[in-house]
Amino acid sequence: MSAPLLACEDLAHTYLAGTPLASVALRGVTLRIQRGEAVGLVGPTGSGKSTLAQHFAGLLRPTSGRVLIEGVDVYGRGVDLRRVRRRIGLLFQYPEHQLFEETVFEDVAFGPRNLGLDPDEVTERVQWALRLVGLDPDWFARRSPFSLSGGEMRRVAIAGVLAMRPEILILDEPTAGLDPQGRRELIDLVRRLRRSQADLTLLLISHSMEDVARLCERVVVLHRGQVFLDAPVRVAFSQAERLREIGLDVPRVTDLLIRLRAGGLSVRTDRITVEEACEEILRALQG
Amino acid sequence: MELLRTISIGQYVPRPSVVHRLDPRTKLLSTVALMVVVFLVQDFRGLGLFAAFLTVAIVCSQIPLGFVLRSLRPVLFLLVLTLLLQVFFGAPDGGTVLFRVWSFVATREGLVQGLFVTARLVLLIVGTSLLTYTTSPVEIADGLERLLGPFRRFGVPAHELAMMMTIALRFIPTLVEETERIMKAQMSRGADFQTGGPFRRARALIPILVPLFVSAFRRADELALAMEARGYRGGEGRTRMKQLRYGPHDAVAALMITLASIAVLLPGRLW
Repeated sequence: MSAPLLACEDLAHTYLAGTPLASVALRGVTLRIQRGEAVGLVGPTGSGKSTLAQHFAGLLRPTSGRVLIEGVDVYGRGVDLRRVRRRIGLLFQYPEHQLFEETVFEDVAFGPRNLGLDPDEVTERVQWALRLVGLDPDWFARRSPFSLSGGEMRRVAIAGVLAMRPEILILDEPTAGLDPQGRRELIDLVRRLRRSQADLTLLLISHSMEDVARLCERVVVLHRGQVFLDAPVRVAFSQAERLREIGLDVPRVTDLLIRLRAGGLSVRTDRITVEEACEEILRALQG
Repeated sequence: MELLRTISIGQYVPRPSVVHRLDPRTKLLSTVALMVVVFLVQDFRGLGLFAAFLTVAIVCSQIPLGFVLRSLRPVLFLLVLTLLLQVFFGAPDGGTVLFRVWSFVATREGLVQGLFVTARLVLLIVGTSLLTYTTSPVEIADGLERLLGPFRRFGVPAHELAMMMTIALRFIPTLVEETERIMKAQMSRGADFQTGGPFRRARALIPILVPLFVSAFRRADELALAMEARGYRGGEGRTRMKQLRYGPHDAVAALMITLASIAVLLPGRLW
């Protein structure tokens, strides 16, 4: 079997190690993610999700343990971290706060230019990325990113990451602070992206179990810096009790099914989207 | 990549120590005394004694010595530069020649002078950072406001100064974290801050500085709004939840510091 695209072995990280302010963020995390997988990374606040993401993205050195891309130790000797970072796009929380250029075009072009692409290729990628996030390049490219609405700024920031054409896309709370409409659009965007690029590997950090249910096939639950649960989405969400133990929840439709079952209706509880739940309830009522 | 590691100015380290419990006014005045004394000391014996007293104070504060010394790291360059300048130019009238680098002459007198000045700076920085390690920004500002209070009639805006200081100190760690986050975000978009000449490096800072300024202004706006929403209208008639009060241990500390200052200053002059 070939090495997984992305993996970490016994990864541990302590912030401000060796000072009175030291705090442990990760304690021995081992994960394997195959090419093309979509993994949801969930966990209560402070469970180490963002810290883990930064290790994967080549931005934070582990205190101990290893991060491997195709079996190669990312933080090993002689590995150029900049090359690693090119393969992985990390969208930080509230990415609109990192915009800096005078025009939307220039801002989205920042990444591709850093890749050393020629101007034609840069232009092509910027327009592709802007269209993908639903911003018309003719209308938006020349405008200042600071004149846009919050939702539009977020999309420009996402385009800035997508224009790098990463193999692995890590999204850290991409829907935080968006209204329901913006949320839906963002989920659709990620779905479109995965359809158009089947080998794209996705790591989604989210507090929204609905988002994870819609976009991912597998869930990794972190709790106090350790892997609490690593299972296919359906299996994970059918263990509502365990998730609630650590302050997490299951998608609301799953919750509904669990309650119906408790009330005597014989429904399966491993349904996670509204459509599936509808079918299941109808089946149970008719059957 | 952990900037917070190197920037430890203004970092309050809570500990259940005697030094932490002292009234901030005592600690502020002691720091002022420390600054005056460190510049009045004229010999190595005095500095050595000073260092000994400072070490005792650090031990009492329960903050690891190594962590306190870390506050020197940001100014290391300045310290080395001071030392070098003194070694080569400290004795303009000439002195015992130690060695030469090109046309620069290092003198024995310069070296002695350089070590003295550098030691003085080190003690000054370590001493003042002990204040910020053991006193929360709010306490420092409170103490400062009370100490400056009598000068208000001469037009010193005591409350405003204290408030500005509180806010500035409070936001240092926040802005450092923000800087780190923005840097990482731009690095994951292929930005490179480490290579290239000085011009390229300066240009590479733009993607960090612009978002940082934007966010600093946004924070300032939000903070002003939050303060006004809670009825802030300046220091006039404002009451405090925590009243400052001198206790017996403040008297003891003041006495000890006075005695220590005299002990440090006397030897050079009298003995």
